[in-house]
Amino acid sequence: MPDRDPPASTPEPLLSARGIAKRYGAVRALEEASLSVRAGEVVALLGANGSGKSTLGKIITGITRPDAGTLTFDGAPLHLSEPAQARRRGITAVYQELSLVPDLSVAENVWLGHEPVRRGGIDRRTMKGRTAELLASFAGVFSVPVEPDTLVDSLPPSERQLVEVVKALAWRPRLLVLDEATASLDARQVDRLFELVRGWREGGMAVVFVSHRMNEIFRVADRAVVLRNGVTVGERRIGEVDEQELVQLMTGGGAVAAIALEGHDAPGAAAAPPGATEAPVVLELRRFASGVVAPLDLTLRQGELVGVGGLQGQGQSRLLLALFGAVPHQGEVRLEGAPVAFRNPRQALRAGVAYVPGDRNREGLLPVRPILENLQLPNWRRYGTPLRMERARRDAAAVVADLDVRLASLDEPVANLSGGNAQKVVIGKWLSRRPKLLLLDDPTKGVDVNAKAELYRLLARLQAQGTTILFHSSDDAELLGLCQRVLVMQDGRVTATLEGDTLDQRHLVAAAMGAQGAGAA
Amino acid sequence: MRPSSAWLRNHTYLVPLVLLVVAVALNYYFQPNFFQPRVLNGNLRVMLPLMVLAAGQALVIIAGGIDLSVGAMVSLVNVLLVTLVTRESGPPEVLLAVGAALLVGAAAGAVNGLCVAYLRLQPIVTTYATSFLFSGVALAVLPRPGGALPRALTTFYRSAPLGVPATAYGIALLLLLWVVLRRTRFVQYLYAVGGNAAAARASGVRVAFTRFLSYVTMGLFAALSAMMLTLSTGSGNSRLGDAMTLPSIVAVVLGGTRLAGGQGGVVGAVIGVAVLTIIRNLITFSNVPTWYQTLFDAVVILLALAGPGIVQLIRGRRA
Ligand SMILES: Nc1ncnc2c1ncn2[C@@H]1O[C@H](COP(=O)(O)OP(=O)(O)OP(=O)(O)O)[C@@H](O)[C@H]1O
Ligand SMILES: [Mg+2]
Repeated sequence: MPDRDPPASTPEPLLSARGIAKRYGAVRALEEASLSVRAGEVVALLGANGSGKSTLGKIITGITRPDAGTLTFDGAPLHLSEPAQARRRGITAVYQELSLVPDLSVAENVWLGHEPVRRGGIDRRTMKGRTAELLASFAGVFSVPVEPDTLVDSLPPSERQLVEVVKALAWRPRLLVLDEATASLDARQVDRLFELVRGWREGGMAVVFVSHRMNEIFRVADRAVVLRNGVTVGERRIGEVDEQELVQLMTGGGAVAAIALEGHDAPGAAAAPPGATEAPVVLELRRFASGVVAPLDLTLRQGELVGVGGLQGQGQSRLLLALFGAVPHQGEVRLEGAPVAFRNPRQALRAGVAYVPGDRNREGLLPVRPILENLQLPNWRRYGTPLRMERARRDAAAVVADLDVRLASLDEPVANLSGGNAQKVVIGKWLSRRPKLLLLDDPTKGVDVNAKAELYRLLARLQAQGTTILFHSSDDAELLGLCQRVLVMQDGRVTATLEGDTLDQRHLVAAAMGAQGAGAA
Repeated sequence: MRPSSAWLRNHTYLVPLVLLVVAVALNYYFQPNFFQPRVLNGNLRVMLPLMVLAAGQALVIIAGGIDLSVGAMVSLVNVLLVTLVTRESGPPEVLLAVGAALLVGAAAGAVNGLCVAYLRLQPIVTTYATSFLFSGVALAVLPRPGGALPRALTTFYRSAPLGVPATAYGIALLLLLWVVLRRTRFVQYLYAVGGNAAAARASGVRVAFTRFLSYVTMGLFAALSAMMLTLSTGSGNSRLGDAMTLPSIVAVVLGGTRLAGGQGGVVGAVIGVAVLTIIRNLITFSNVPTWYQTLFDAVVILLALAGPGIVQLIRGRRA
């Protein structure tokens, strides 16, 4: 039952949305959503995957038009028919599915649509200069150099995310919506972003902040508004609420296992097979190297879950890609004792290696194809010729139920899913395969607390069945809670291996920052 | 029950089906004997070769490619058939010719496939270039139009076993073939490669090989199309298929298949051919110059390319 609190009644809100509804065909994205933000306030917008957060964000910024409800901005009714109108009023957003044009430079992206002009032409010098100024606010936390002239296509997800923030700032917004802007950022980048957010708040900007990382909510927000199934079900001041209560609001109460709340309670460590050190070796690397990844040795035993951490973009993704045969590598690889040299993902798959990519839109999904085909793409071989479609559909339905993907039908294109639900599809297509070695590149980005818990349980189940897992995450809590051993990478080298006593937040941060000064110089 | 949008999206041929009904109604208005078996047969005979060709084109386009050499392939196979078969040929020669036709079609497709999939050349440029290669060979094989088929064959093509035109059986077989193909891994992979090649690769699909196969399949369909066409005309001409390239693409587009790849199907393409052929009839009836047909083809392609943008323009204001 919605227990909408009366809006906290101090100064007039800068933006207020009341009774917003939005349908997509048979899907009700929003039913009765309300949100208000005052100038100089950071409001966290919470909710499970598919609860309507992004849709509400898009309505506020004029991308999508609501079916019902009213918006007021600065005391006057707000009618938006396109994003440009919202921007002119000072409303911008960093969207969950990034909106950068890969073939343009950073500066061109940042000023797209409002390029500075001088004497009838685009003033490229001003454009670059101002981009450089904006980029400076993230100086020191980029994992690769980002200049105004850098091509966006060459940037890893975390840097694209930061460029996206810079792009929003270029409009000098009065209201900024950050829709999972931290999902692919590492600890240091998040810290910097939060410092900036606090600064903006001082300066009177209103911020709507969406994140599935609960600790971030408590660090940066003043107030939390919770959506459930498209309805605003509650509103709390951050000082007067705990995580438990927020999660209960999000999920609708009792059913939540405490397991999701803290990485530390995740079942990883508990599920480690007894005597793991005697378990047979599954993967053995000798002087394995690829691109930025400097030669490394590594031994993984059956049923082990080993984390790969460090700041974003230190070669973790490249390491996983190289193991999967997607990019060339040097050195020796043994899988269950036999030497292998995968030249493409297909060979790796055939040998029992599976991979969840870090960039779901690039390598994870066929956006225009139905969810069914996305889930079964690596698995068709199992369904014979002609393909037994009924069985394929049943199996897909089971995976969807397992991961609690919110969808209208398996025949719907994957592009219609909310970000978190799409990510579940990317993970889901490997789950029925029981791989020998599972490579995960930041698989929980944008996935809600409940689904994370479900994923952790699945990983534990796979582990118990003997799957070995190599797991990169940008979320430290997750690495600490799930892994028995964490490799910390910096500049393509494994600079520390944390386990036992050294596997804690303090050591992880220290190792990640490592010889940063030396590295940067 | 109101069809859900997902259902509509996976049955992309419904919109062209509506077009077809409208086109047939118009044609019937101008030509009241349209449904007489003789007239209907005549229309189907014209349609079948193009339907087969458009079906192949649909597969290539679904996989994210395009083939501008299909007309030349049809010409090539046509001249090959009439040089291998004479009016006096018996079943052995005919079978041999059919085998040779399929082989040459597949080989021509393999040339395209090699260039596009393995040498990574642009499909439009590559197939435009190979179309001249195929045309050249066709001209060398049969410099002047001529040749003939055994009368039994051409008669069969015009016959109506059990009261149904032979060509109608052909269309049914084509659709049946699609139903079977749709449930193969090959076609799943075509959609995947056209939908997002990088994701397909990361899921273990052999992207280059799938692309290669799509062109080889196109070659086979072109050979089949040439056989139908040769049955229909009963003779050879090294330029016979040239005019079929553009219509094969227009039909696919009319059938609701995105030129960007990853979507659509053969049913739509087959209906697209029917719509296209009937519109040609209409243009003939209305006594306007035939270049209107070309204009029409061009407009359809332009609309298809601009379509998504136009839809967004309209919807973006409201949605
Ligand atoms: N363009 C669309 N077409 C059809 N359905 C859509 C579309 N956009 C969103 N939806 C549906 O609306 C619902 C809400 O989606 P939305 O993206 O707002 O969720 P969200 O709260 O942002 O979730 P997440 O945490 O996963 O990002 C989902 O069920 C989604 O499938
Ligand atoms: Mg979202």
